Amino acid sequence: MVNSKLKLAGAVASAALTIGGAAMGEETPSWCGPDEATLALMDGFGGNSWRQVTNAAAAIEAAKCPSITNYEYSDAQGNTQKAISDIKAFTAKGTDALIVFADSGPAVLPAMTSAYRAGRVVIPFRVEVAGEEGVNFSKYLNTDFYGEGVTFANWIKEILPDGGNVLFLSGPAGTSQGVQAYEGMKSVLGDEYVFLNSLPFAVTNWDPALTQQVLTAEIAKHDEIDVIVSDFGPSLVGALPEFEKYGRSIPAIAAADGNSIGCFWHEKHESNPDFELFTVSTGNDDVRLAVQWAAALATGGTPPEQEMNPVPPFENSITGEPNPVQCRDDLPGSIFLSSSVPADVQAKAVGGK
Amino acid sequence: MAGNSKTAPFFSSAGSGIFRMPGPQILTVLLSIVGLVVASIFFAPSSITLGAVSGSIPFAAVLAIVGLGQLLVVQQGGFDLSVPGGVSLAVVICAHVPAGDNAVLPYAVGLAICAALATGILNGVMVGVFRVNAVIATIGVNALLYGGVFAVSGGVPILTTPLLQKIVIGTTFGIPHSVYFALAALIVVAFVVKKTVMGRRFEVIGANKTAAAAVGLRVRLHESMAYVYAQLLYCLAGILLAGILREPTAFQGEALLLPSIAVVVLGGTLSGGRGYPLATFIAAIFLNQLSQFALAVGVPYSGQSIIQALALGLGISVHSMQRRFGQRKLT
Repeated sequence: MVNSKLKLAGAVASAALTIGGAAMGEETPSWCGPDEATLALMDGFGGNSWRQVTNAAAAIEAAKCPSITNYEYSDAQGNTQKAISDIKAFTAKGTDALIVFADSGPAVLPAMTSAYRAGRVVIPFRVEVAGEEGVNFSKYLNTDFYGEGVTFANWIKEILPDGGNVLFLSGPAGTSQGVQAYEGMKSVLGDEYVFLNSLPFAVTNWDPALTQQVLTAEIAKHDEIDVIVSDFGPSLVGALPEFEKYGRSIPAIAAADGNSIGCFWHEKHESNPDFELFTVSTGNDDVRLAVQWAAALATGGTPPEQEMNPVPPFENSITGEPNPVQCRDDLPGSIFLSSSVPADVQAKAVGGK
Repeated sequence: MAGNSKTAPFFSSAGSGIFRMPGPQILTVLLSIVGLVVASIFFAPSSITLGAVSGSIPFAAVLAIVGLGQLLVVQQGGFDLSVPGGVSLAVVICAHVPAGDNAVLPYAVGLAICAALATGILNGVMVGVFRVNAVIATIGVNALLYGGVFAVSGGVPILTTPLLQKIVIGTTFGIPHSVYFALAALIVVAFVVKKTVMGRRFEVIGANKTAAAAVGLRVRLHESMAYVYAQLLYCLAGILLAGILREPTAFQGEALLLPSIAVVVLGGTLSGGRGYPLATFIAAIFLNQLSQFALAVGVPYSGQSIIQALALGLGISVHSMQRRFGQRKLT
């Protein structure tokens, strides 16, 4: 039932050993207690580089705590039944702390509740699962997607002070990430900013093929798109050249960061005068807080004070603050330079050279 | 049947012409697409602009090729549920094996074709020789293929080689190359099925295996080979998809399973026997344009799904009624 990917596990394990080894000489973090425990990350959909880098980040963080004797990873491959059986399998196996990336949402809540009642530490993060702390799971760690929307909107107001046409693309229909980001944007942007997409966002499933089809339709439909907002920047890369087919400049983009979109901006911005790029950190490191909480509760350490992951700005092609647009064209496009996982370790984790 | 080798005209109204122009299947799907274009003119004019069509037509080409593969299997009375695995494996082999190196691309394409042949033979032997239910056999093989996808890619996307992008995205006379590949696949499938002895045997076997066996045709061989041809077509679709998408995911074939069956059914091939490659091809264009129409109208995602489902249901109903009406006339 538990699907461990050997190739990935090798890359991640070596990364964790390398970085964790360095950490051995450092002081044990306060969230790492004296009791030995095992820890697992249960991914709902591991089929993209973002999740592989997140897995690498989790492995590295877990390796900082000597009391964590084993770290494992499972991938439900977008299958809700498998996500449930993965949670049950780790519970039955006796894994002490379960971190759940609950892509299936509340559908996995009963399995999490069973695990929690069986005495496991259960930490869902990033995706809302309903339920209640202390009843269904140990601690839910949200990411501030509302704040992400606010950050995007503030930048949009800077570049388009008089209003404009906004196209917002997100993942599967109803994903809380997209809904919250939209609400965040609407809290800042007035009626002079028109959302061209069906509300709250155009559904792309974060799939490059669907993104390309959606963007093709939107470009044909709207003569003026002033800014495109996406919470997964790399999925835009294949679709943006559509603007050039129409003889139009690629518009301003506000997105979560990715090496491929950074490199794409470097490649295209001179020939596309309207192409400005603003990114926020894509949030691979959110899992670190989840690991810290899980380890603290399972090993008897001190839980962190932080209970929510912020979404800070990362790149700004206009001001260069906090960073100019980054590109490592010697490494795969599918890595994320905002992550604290070193770029070359990410490259190994995503199967690049 | 082999002895009855009267050559059919290139176009004919009945029997074995390559493109059965006036056939009710083609007329139905053609009328559907005309109706859709008219609806687009009034409700979603942007969906039929040159830019929108040229941007979305490569996806129609991919769907048409996958649909032709599924058509061959349906003609033999089966269903091929290994479409997602077959397409995804070709995508990841063509993207990950070269890892950006143009020089390795021909080797990767060769490897993808070999993998498709092996998969097709496996499916074919299980269904044609060991008589395993086609749905069960192909769903099992699909799981096996996903294992291969993971082994090659680790489950992650990667940028495709510039050469593959250039070949597939490039245009000649303003038409994307992927469309030429799809047209070539259509011509080959239609010609072989409708104009060769092997193709005529293939259809006859699909229509009635018992009768075909009684006249000495190699039923199991033809039935098995349908899965091999299908995998080769999925492989072609996967290679094209790897080029169309600058950074394809590892599971890019996932979304093609249901549409592949839908275009076969919309094209009028509802069960074993006679197949309609041209109608299947046009149905792929129809389905793609329907998606663009729904997107351009701007209805919510749920509405888009409902529009597509209604169109499919309507198309299938029309074909079913045609079939029942035809059978009544015969009796």
